[in-house]
Amino acid sequence: MAFQAQLAALAEELVDAVGIPESHHERRSACQDFVLHNIRHHSFTRTNQFEVNDRLNGFDERFRVVGRDALADAYRKRLDALEPFHDEKHMPDVLHFLLELADKPAQKTQLSD
Amino acid sequence: MADRTEKQQAAQQAVDILHEISTILNCHLDRRTLSICISMIENGVNPEALAAVVKELRKEGQQVQLEAALQAQQLQQQHPSGQQQSSRRK
Repeated sequence: MAFQAQLAALAEELVDAVGIPESHHERRSACQDFVLHNIRHHSFTRTNQFEVNDRLNGFDERFRVVGRDALADAYRKRLDALEPFHDEKHMPDVLHFLLELADKPAQKTQLSD
Repeated sequence: MADRTEKQQAAQQAVDILHEISTILNCHLDRRTLSICISMIENGVNPEALAAVVKELRKEGQQVQLEAALQAQQLQQQHPSGQQQSSRRK
């Protein structure tokens, strides 16, 4: 029960963070229900950490292929810095999450950001 | 106590690096949203399902903002004098 309450609290925070204003009570409540329903009932498989590693390395290669070596270096530096945390149980899942949200970084990412 | 502080610092450092990676991958995540999502994943939420949910919530957020902007525009058209009066008072 405590686990469900914790997830519900996190879902509320997520809805808030994404920017649904507090004045829209009904909409916020619907969004919260949507979050909880969709994270409980889905057909996605578990994270394959080898596939995650391949996809992460694939971005490094792609940056270099399109001539964005500085971006590739910055990216590789961060991946290396993350190395000590690779034993963390949920790290492949978190990286999988980031890979799912990646939005054409080779074209759109500005290194100044 | 010191052990706990060290763990917290390590977790903080990991989130910092993950946020930098998310910026490089152009994930459109601020630090707060990323921290919430990491907590959810640590609670056993499937990352792919969570990513799909975040994408839908963003669409909803944009829709709400659009509606709010339209409402404000309509109000301004209905009561243009109200705003003039308030600006005169200033």
